[in-house]
Amino acid sequence: MAPHVTTRASVPAMPETEAGFGRTSRARSSGQWTAWAFLAPVVVYLIAFYAYPLYRNLDLSLHRYTVRSFVQGGAPFSGLDNYRTVFDSPTFWPALTHTAVFTGVSLVFQFSIGMALAIFFHQHFRLSATLRALFLVPWLLPLIVSASTWSWMLNSDSGIVNTALGVFGIGPVNWLTSPDWSLASVTIANIWIGIPFNLVLLYSGLQSIPSEIYEAAALDGATHWSRFWRVTFPLLRPVSAITLLLGLIYTLKVFDIIWIMTRGGPADGSTTLATWSYRLGFGNLLPSFGPGAAVGNLLIILAMVFGLLYIRMQRRTLR
Amino acid sequence: MTSWNATRRRTHTGAAIALSACLAAACSTGTGSPTGSGSGSSGSSGTYAIWDPYPQFDDSADWVKLLQKCGTDVGVTIKRTGYDTTDLTNKALLAAQQGNSPDVLIVDNPVVSTLADAGVLTTTDEMKIDTSAVEPNLLAAGQLDGKTYGIPIGANTLALYYNKAVLTTAGVDPAEIKDWTSLTAALAKVKAAGKKGITFSAIGTEEGSFQFLPWFWGAGANLTQLDSAQGVSALQLWTDWLKNGYAPNSVINNTQTTSWQEFATGQFAFAENGTWQLANAKKTGFEYGIIPIPSSSGGTAPAPTGGEFVTAPVQTDTGRYATSQKLIACLTNADNAYTTDTTLSYIAATDTVQAKQVADNSELKVWVEAVKAAKGRTSDNLGTKYPKISEPMWTGFQAALSGAKSPQDAFGAAQATAAAATK
Amino acid sequence: MKRSLKTAVGVGLTAIMLFPVYWMINVSFTKDTDMRADPPHLFPLHGTFDGYRAVLDQQLPFLGNSLLIGLGTVALTVIVSAPAGYSLAKLRPRGAGTLSFVLLVAQMIPGVIMAMGFYAIYLKLGVLNSSAGLVLADSTIAVPFGVLIFTAFMSGIPAELVAAAKIDGAGAFRTFWSVILPVSRNAVVTVSLFAFLWAWSDFVFATTLDGGGAQQPITLGIYRYIGNNNQEWNAIMATAVVASIPATLLLIVAQRYVAAGVTAGAVKD
Repeated sequence: MAPHVTTRASVPAMPETEAGFGRTSRARSSGQWTAWAFLAPVVVYLIAFYAYPLYRNLDLSLHRYTVRSFVQGGAPFSGLDNYRTVFDSPTFWPALTHTAVFTGVSLVFQFSIGMALAIFFHQHFRLSATLRALFLVPWLLPLIVSASTWSWMLNSDSGIVNTALGVFGIGPVNWLTSPDWSLASVTIANIWIGIPFNLVLLYSGLQSIPSEIYEAAALDGATHWSRFWRVTFPLLRPVSAITLLLGLIYTLKVFDIIWIMTRGGPADGSTTLATWSYRLGFGNLLPSFGPGAAVGNLLIILAMVFGLLYIRMQRRTLR
Repeated sequence: MTSWNATRRRTHTGAAIALSACLAAACSTGTGSPTGSGSGSSGSSGTYAIWDPYPQFDDSADWVKLLQKCGTDVGVTIKRTGYDTTDLTNKALLAAQQGNSPDVLIVDNPVVSTLADAGVLTTTDEMKIDTSAVEPNLLAAGQLDGKTYGIPIGANTLALYYNKAVLTTAGVDPAEIKDWTSLTAALAKVKAAGKKGITFSAIGTEEGSFQFLPWFWGAGANLTQLDSAQGVSALQLWTDWLKNGYAPNSVINNTQTTSWQEFATGQFAFAENGTWQLANAKKTGFEYGIIPIPSSSGGTAPAPTGGEFVTAPVQTDTGRYATSQKLIACLTNADNAYTTDTTLSYIAATDTVQAKQVADNSELKVWVEAVKAAKGRTSDNLGTKYPKISEPMWTGFQAALSGAKSPQDAFGAAQATAAAATK
Repeated sequence: MKRSLKTAVGVGLTAIMLFPVYWMINVSFTKDTDMRADPPHLFPLHGTFDGYRAVLDQQLPFLGNSLLIGLGTVALTVIVSAPAGYSLAKLRPRGAGTLSFVLLVAQMIPGVIMAMGFYAIYLKLGVLNSSAGLVLADSTIAVPFGVLIFTAFMSGIPAELVAAAKIDGAGAFRTFWSVILPVSRNAVVTVSLFAFLWAWSDFVFATTLDGGGAQQPITLGIYRYIGNNNQEWNAIMATAVVASIPATLLLIVAQRYVAAGVTAGAVKD
């Protein structure tokens, strides 16, 4: 019975292939024209708005810029020197490890909590729509406000969290001021901020699953749990994959939350590649543009690796 | 059917291209609204751009009215823009890169040497600005290699605020605090009386360095040698305060505002904070006093100067300088400086105006003295080397305060980084 | 009974999630002298309305601007990204993989770098400090996201639906307009929602590109209370509270609309 469900379930996830109509090569090339016509706005858009910042970041990372040459021009080409500076820096390995931990832990929790909530809210009950909307409120707040609120709550001496823990005889924990805890603190805040994103995407994904499939599964006598693993989860695969990928990309470049809460400190305890890049480029009276841009580009390369993985995965399902 | 489809498709292709073209057109024409005139000097010759780091003031504020008045006096229109101070350096650099600098730029004093080094600013000689009345220790922050790049609009610095009631309970006489030993002894008494000792800001940014410097300089240390015995002793002082519970652990993450909020609860005996908190001090509802920050072996420690400089960025059209010079003269003349410094809660940069301030408000006397003893961060001809020392320094004290390293190791590492960066 | 239990659990979960928001509201009512009280006050019993007084006096025009900028961003994002999503999902253009890849990379450029790039361009074109310019910049956060989301959702649309439209003689554009778009309402709402939220809470672009503008969004209004030495936290938090009220109402309405979800019905036909 289970295979039966799976077959039915996989129908809507199957991509549409026009090639099945067996067209002539001329029709195919005109199909290409149409396809690219639909893409034209976005291509124009990408070239107009992303090419320059990207080029600029690359340019900054390959020259030895000082503030003077930044303004007056004429920075000497320095090849990969900036990258070498970055790799040799004692901050590099901690920053890389923190980035991996911060991103990994954030993703796991955001996604699983988001998924659980999406399924919970999908069982329509009184107020479910309103409550779901309220879950988005954290997104409406400017980051400077939400991050400051978190550092308020996690303050060692006057924070509500330590007061609450004190009631149970725990603590006080130096959430933001101890190198052992600061990474955990910013990760918690980031998970909180990321939950609405996962909830909305996964919920919309659930909405697009036709209800007949559930009915069929229910007829087959599937339990809640097996229904989730055999029906919901496979059908949500495309949406889950994109949610995780986007989550990954956004988490990799998170810097404001960390910057506001701990400035990456103390003693680099919560420095990630993104905050490091910001600190090099902007967090000092004297900006070091080159190394800052180099760290930024490393992040872009990191995202490229995961992007490639995603596209390979997508191709495999499309085949 | 195929050909029919193909035609249709072609039509749609055309439509889609037209759509995207019109989008692109909208991008270039739709945004060119009249409000969007550049912020720089490219406008009509009668409009002069002034940038300042006071976004808290809107058009109804005295500061902005003063700018407009100076414009009217000189006979030009002022286009004023207030930016967040952390953002202003980058903005100024970018604008200069695009050849679009404002005519007058008001900028935080430690940034002046960076901008001067970038070739963004004119010297006061070129602009024929008279800086002779300005206190030399304040002007020093704007000097690089013997040239001066601006004129301070006013100054502020740090001192110790104390809570009278808390000190009375603990049996401490603030007049007896002359050096570090007596200060630490006072903190011990306060703690024994069940109150909290001292709060300051040791955050990992320039703000933290600003707050650490009075202790660092007060120990007799020099920024060129962070790990000297004196430098380490200053860090040892802070670290011991934390270890003994004289200062809260939260100082590691405190901004000066957060630290002030802690003091405002009325639980703390002392707070290291700036001139600008005077107005807030009156709102706390308890009696307070102010003493200068003591140096290690007695006497007043040199605190760093804060406050902004009025500068004139380089323009391609040098004909504009004459008017900019008049505007700067207007902003910094004695009467206007008095108004501005009162609005900002700053101390004036010249002797005459300082005297007037003290005459009107005797409370400012201690601050005027503190400002006279103060020292620019970029002074000693450190210039753009200062930021390269300041960052390792704050990384160092953060490491020591959070317990990651001993003071000696923390500043040893900091000195190594600073030496490599400034060589 | 079981349904009301679910509601109770839902309310509980929402309360936990919104605790930091409550804390923000609490701070917005707190006097300066109590902000760092130890232990903290759970309720603003001896509160102050100073923060709100300041906000209501000064901030209301900013709210209108934010709304306008948000809606503009939504429109631009959907117009640019929906057709692209359709093409990538259904029309199999050559080089689709490369384009998706470029879109992913585009999102990786740090916001500050994007903002600096825009600043340089806008300064040259003389379009700094305009709402339209800000809409354009804000949409760059949402467009790559929109394309990827539309692609993911539209590739889930059953093949029969498109095939049926084709048999009816509909061309690619009509298929897109009258078949794909209506079925993708969920995706449209999702993308719009995020585009709006991003534009609403954007700060980096606003401060860089609209720092001196006449029509500033609410995130810049906050800077009224962040001086270069001092921050008025109750006014900052009050601004955030006031700013989130109209947006929250908008969200609740939008969410009801999604909940009505017609997708399943449309697929059935």
